[in-house]
Amino acid sequence: MTSAPLYVGIDLGTTNSTAAVFDGEKVTLVRNAQGSPITPSVVRIDARGNVTVGARARRFLDTDADNTRSEFKRLMGTAQGIRFQGAGVERRPEELAAEVLRSLRADVRDQIGVLPARAVISVPALFELPQTSATSEAARLAGFERVELLQEPIASALAAGWTVEDQGGAWLVYDLGGGTFDVSLLETRDGLLRVVGHDGDNFLGGRDFDWAIVDWAIAQAARDGVVIRRGDPAHAGAVRKIKLAAEEAKIELSRVESASITVPGLDVAGAGYDLDVTLDRETLERLCAPAIDRSIAVCRRLLQAHGVADGGLTRVVLVGGPSVMPVVRRLVSQQLAVPPAEGLDPMTLVAQGAAIFAATAGLEARPSAIEAVRGAKVWLQYPAMSSDLTPHVVGRLVERTGPVNSVPTEVQLGRADGLWDSPWTPLDEEGAFVLPVSLVPRKPNVFRLTGKNIQGNAVTIDPPTLTIVQGLTISDPPLSRTIGVALASNDVRVYFERGAPLPARRTFTLHTVDSVARGAEKAVIKIPIVQGEYEQAHLCRLVGALEIGGKELKQTLASGAEVELTIELDRGGRMSARALIPAIGQVFEHVAHLLVPEADPEVLASTVTATRARLGELRTDAFRRQARDSIERLGKVESALDDVGRDIDAARGGDTDAAQKARRTLIEVDAQIEAVELDRRWPELDREAREALIWTTGWVQDYGQPHEQTLYQETAKAVDKARQGRDPLELQRQLRLLRRLGSSAYGRHPEAWKHRFEDAAADVGNATDVARAQALVKEGREALAKGDNEALRRVTQKLWQLLPSAAEDRRKGHESGVR
Amino acid sequence: MSQKPDDFEALADNPFYVLGLRPDCSRIDIEREGQKLLGMLGLKLKSAATYMSPLGPRPRTEDKVRAAMAALRDHEKRLAHEFWASLPPPAAPPKPPPIPETKGPGPAPFAGAFAALGWRRS
Ligand SMILES: Nc1ncnc2c1ncn2[C@@H]1O[C@H](COP(=O)(O)OP(=O)(O)OP(=O)(O)O)[C@@H](O)[C@H]1O
Ligand SMILES: [Mg+2]
Repeated sequence: MTSAPLYVGIDLGTTNSTAAVFDGEKVTLVRNAQGSPITPSVVRIDARGNVTVGARARRFLDTDADNTRSEFKRLMGTAQGIRFQGAGVERRPEELAAEVLRSLRADVRDQIGVLPARAVISVPALFELPQTSATSEAARLAGFERVELLQEPIASALAAGWTVEDQGGAWLVYDLGGGTFDVSLLETRDGLLRVVGHDGDNFLGGRDFDWAIVDWAIAQAARDGVVIRRGDPAHAGAVRKIKLAAEEAKIELSRVESASITVPGLDVAGAGYDLDVTLDRETLERLCAPAIDRSIAVCRRLLQAHGVADGGLTRVVLVGGPSVMPVVRRLVSQQLAVPPAEGLDPMTLVAQGAAIFAATAGLEARPSAIEAVRGAKVWLQYPAMSSDLTPHVVGRLVERTGPVNSVPTEVQLGRADGLWDSPWTPLDEEGAFVLPVSLVPRKPNVFRLTGKNIQGNAVTIDPPTLTIVQGLTISDPPLSRTIGVALASNDVRVYFERGAPLPARRTFTLHTVDSVARGAEKAVIKIPIVQGEYEQAHLCRLVGALEIGGKELKQTLASGAEVELTIELDRGGRMSARALIPAIGQVFEHVAHLLVPEADPEVLASTVTATRARLGELRTDAFRRQARDSIERLGKVESALDDVGRDIDAARGGDTDAAQKARRTLIEVDAQIEAVELDRRWPELDREAREALIWTTGWVQDYGQPHEQTLYQETAKAVDKARQGRDPLELQRQLRLLRRLGSSAYGRHPEAWKHRFEDAAADVGNATDVARAQALVKEGREALAKGDNEALRRVTQKLWQLLPSAAEDRRKGHESGVR
Repeated sequence: MSQKPDDFEALADNPFYVLGLRPDCSRIDIEREGQKLLGMLGLKLKSAATYMSPLGPRPRTEDKVRAAMAALRDHEKRLAHEFWASLPPPAAPPKPPPIPETKGPGPAPFAGAFAALGWRRS
């Protein structure tokens, strides 16, 4: 007997967290012990070490700030410890997140009667690798056996798509949270949901409204002659109290027309003051308008980037606490000329979507019951959720031997409602079957799988049933930035291009530059993994590194040894890497320092200094070139750096959030500089493209195969287009293709390998292993004399691997030990 | 210093060939076929392990199928691929190309060639 499926989704928010469950048909919110579906993401550890979570902890945020912590989500992925004074303990951000998850997990058990083992947890779209891995770690600490991460906007869209009838078209998910704003452009067609792109501002949210109200209240107090200053440490306690009251009033004003902000007995630099003012909705709306406008500008930028014209949206889905405010709904829908999707709860939509996603990922929350099915074991593959009404079920017998009577030769799938059966289908020579099934819309469809043996008698199959929910199909999320390996030549070996669907896995064979002796304590081969759109490694950002130390080697590794490096990215963008060294049969999997974002004020300050120096150079250059666009960008960089400077000061005073904000801004600054750098490199790139065109045309004409010639023409056209449109990224991409075509053709020239060989041989004195290189040159000369082109090719390729990369290139290439 | 010339695979990796579909197939065909192939590859079935391309049979992998589905879901990308796939995949691999030995050495590659092919030497 099978019960309804159970899928769990969790929105682990900065301010609030929510859990929801989905049974394949409807979503139910999980209520906590206080009866609310919303649990504040607040953790308190008292002097005796007792841990409380949620509303009960939140009450102490004001009165016992040293032992009560919130907003730790912003620190995820950093090494920052969070102290609890009373108990004298320090916790990592993921440990606090784990407390919230543990509490929600217990709420599911209390409401549903099942302690979930698997779940989907949502993360912001702009989370970086270390932040996603910290989230997985939090889930593990909370006792989940398996979780999948899902980007918050996809979760919102999925929930909206499930609830609202499919109209197709482009939509916007507008998610304004406590401190972050995310906006995503999505498209649905025929039940397929696709993320087109996203944008956001990491420092825009409900908190900005709160501060605007605080400033207003302070101005009111000034009328009474009381001076309260936000930046003055002597007023910090008073300001904190006003801010809490301001937030309460703001929330109240989502329902009513006016609310009072009353804070008696404020301590303003030693003197007492009773704050009591009334805020009406109209004033609130005026105060919030600038921040809302900023969010709308971000939406416009996103729409523009994807060529969506005004009025080109079918609907906007509003998510996040501040989206409850009537003014937010009104301004967003007016200015973007799009109706808001009604009947969706902004506070819990993300959790609902996460639960629905658990179904599409087949992530049943119940711990796997050890059902004693005795029968022929079959491996099955099918979509756990499908928009297609007739998807396929694929199966394969695990064991094809055994007593003839217990081995099925034919199978049939029957829908549990008895209204549809597949024909009896014989298993093929691999013991496999591929069967289309028919689904009832918007329901979990249970199918029975039965078998017959060669005599036509029934055989039990394990598993006997499977469930497919008919609903949306969600397409693989695209990778936001290109990922590759930095080589010693400072080139990048691209593994995944921007926009590649996730999950993805790729393997390339790289070669070590140096030899590493077995047991050599200090020697390591470093394989830096970088993210960015440049061809030169030093311009890309290092996001991790795999290190192979001499200590771990079972055998000495020669220079030029093959390293088969596999990089894998899961749906949530989590990365893992694995290096196999075939010569010694060893595998290395440890990815060293997955670049924990460094938010130490001193490190930040030195980054600012370095960035300013670079800014100076670029600016001089931009003025010389009269590059208006670049000058403008650099102006923005300048003012962003000023902001960073202020945040660093606040960080030195202990404001960890300011440190993170500074770090984030620096990343955005990097992107701006990236754009200027690309623009500066343009003439060089353009020249390279022209030259490549001249060289390759002849070769492809003479030695290219017909399909290469056709493709060449197309590529040449694309190169022209990119040159005209002054699109450096596109030109780089097309140039790569052009060169590949040219190289293939060139390689067929009868003397190609001779020339390559001579070129490499001329450099033999600089080889990393001169003796070996000389031997190869000798071998090459013999091959040349015999006219053995194939041998010449092999020798030349080996020789290449021994040639040194310039030390400079290598340093720039993040000290890469591979080529 | 250099990259060895890559084999040219873009044409053989055309999403329509990878999925074994015709350029006029519907959107739902892409989802259905892609999902089926992913299932078959997940179970390592030989019948899904290769596909035919104009350059002969090619190994089919889950990554290739996913990338193909993603490419065809994008309207603009799909148009470009339709153009390339408008020739039906041949039933048998084509003959290897004639080796251009008979053409004589042709224009001799010289130093500039390396730079033009994007090889950087220091
Ligand atoms: N009814 C309401 N009206 C107006 N604002 C509200 C309301 N309820 C909550 N808020 C505000 O919403 C913010 C919290 O939003 P939300 O819970 O969506 O954030 P979060 O999901 O925790 O953050 P993030 O998504 O950035 O991790 C706070 O600023 C809070 O004051
Ligand atoms: Mg949120």
